[in-house]
Amino acid sequence: MDEAPALGADGAGQSKRLPFDTSVANQARIYDYLLGGKDNYEADRVATDAVLAVYPGMAFNAKANRAFLGRAVRFLAGEAGIRQFLDIGTGIPTAGNTHQVAQAVAPQARVVYVDYDPVVLAHARALLTSDKQGATQYIDADLRDTDTLLRQARQLLDFTKPVAITLLAVLHAMTDADDPQGTVAKLLDAVPPGSYLALSHIASDLLDEETRHGLTGVSDRMIQQDFAFRGHDEVLRFFAGTDLVPPGMVRVEEWRPEPGSDDAGRSSLWVGVGRKR
Amino acid sequence: MDSVGPDSEQLLSGLDGSAGDAAVLRIRLGGQLRRLREAAGITPEEAGFEIRASRSKISRLENGRVKLKNRDVTDLLTLYGVRDEAVRSRFLTLVIQSSGPDWWGEYGDILPGWFESYLGLEAAAATIRSFEVQFVHGLFQTADYARAVTRLGRKPAPEGEIERWVNLRLKRQELISRPDPPNVWSVVDEAVLRRPVGGAAVMRAQLRHLIEVAQLPHVTLQVIPFARGAHAGESGSFTVLRFEERDLPDVVYLEQLTNAVYLEQRSDVERYLEVVDEISSQALTPDETTRLIEQAAREA
Repeated sequence: MDEAPALGADGAGQSKRLPFDTSVANQARIYDYLLGGKDNYEADRVATDAVLAVYPGMAFNAKANRAFLGRAVRFLAGEAGIRQFLDIGTGIPTAGNTHQVAQAVAPQARVVYVDYDPVVLAHARALLTSDKQGATQYIDADLRDTDTLLRQARQLLDFTKPVAITLLAVLHAMTDADDPQGTVAKLLDAVPPGSYLALSHIASDLLDEETRHGLTGVSDRMIQQDFAFRGHDEVLRFFAGTDLVPPGMVRVEEWRPEPGSDDAGRSSLWVGVGRKR
Repeated sequence: MDSVGPDSEQLLSGLDGSAGDAAVLRIRLGGQLRRLREAAGITPEEAGFEIRASRSKISRLENGRVKLKNRDVTDLLTLYGVRDEAVRSRFLTLVIQSSGPDWWGEYGDILPGWFESYLGLEAAAATIRSFEVQFVHGLFQTADYARAVTRLGRKPAPEGEIERWVNLRLKRQELISRPDPPNVWSVVDEAVLRRPVGGAAVMRAQLRHLIEVAQLPHVTLQVIPFARGAHAGESGSFTVLRFEERDLPDVVYLEQLTNAVYLEQRSDVERYLEVVDEISSQALTPDETTRLIEQAAREA
């Protein structure tokens, strides 16, 4: 239906799968809850409330991050002329998913969704489908298992042509021990010049110490994944080897905002879109 | 959350477009009544007292499960502080439309009330998720398969009545070809593919039909194969209905021989969501499923 027949088994067993456990909160379901979705469980809502008690701004972060996805993908499919997307850390489907935004601009755009959460991926396969056959595909892989991810992506996308890699609110789930810098470098290495990297990341330098401490506490106690803060310079390093398109790396709501938006200065997420040299 | 001021025109936004389908309109109006009641800080008991009814009647009314009566709605709007005459009269016009005949009205003689409620909810749902252990989902059945299933369930029924049940089922399937159809996501146990309901020829045609509907972009079919061993679906078959409106709860529908159970307590619903989430992630992908159904059709 939507997958290349060449991709037999869905990659299970080759890659780490996140265990399905509704008794502990999960970042994808917390994000779903913050965006007003219904695919979340009691533990997710309790943890979200704890997060919001420490830092009410997280609700704005989530909505602004989702809106950035729309603006960034529209730029990539439009002005930048990109026709291949590798959306890593897909999350639970909601309104305005990558393939919908990209294919609204360029119907021939190919979108490959990647996630390591088998339940998220089941939702993606069921709900993130294109009218056109083969235009939306799925990879069951952990970003930390970058070689497996890239091996599967090469079967679905043409790596001799530019690819837009999106890593939205994903890298914070990798601690330094997981080598996120090396992982992003490896991804960028695999795609040709003229490819793009779009990324958003929680900004430690836009939060005070007490808030960071409180958020880390909630995450450690209640949430399945890690939550790693990074500051401006660390996030900027992810874009090594690319030229940031204007306005450069900014707060999420300040990246090419819709006319009339007056949210500047509200979020604590760094975002940017870089073009590989 | 959007707050709806009782005197706001916003009250009726989103309702006009759905006037065509009485059952859908009922669910939307019910949702608005719930929002108004909550905005006014009134409990379901207090609202029930006002219209000489119970708390559970208010809950059924707010979930679109029963037809709205003009007199009840008039009293409730007053209780909730909606005074704008224009808004009240538009609301009441919609109430009249929502109590109009449903498409299944002509089947009233064979249709039990507990199933009628389901038809209304199904028509209003944005997403229909199901887990099936014995039969193909009603929305995907061929006429011959539906006939075989109906005969099993209603042994003494005369042939004419069986045919009306089959017709009702086919009519119900128009849901998946209407404009802006719901997402239908069905996970089935492999037994469903292997048990030749109605005989081999009927089953082969049914399997071919399944492959066809699974191609529709808003339909997802997944099989949980025998080879995956035991799965989380010890509950048997069930359906989870989800609505677009943020404050309408998901409903779990459990069909029994002589009745049906509707669950909508969050804690109950979540147990079923957990099962269907888990099974969906263990089942074959949609592509693998199509290949297995093709194989089953050859072997049937």
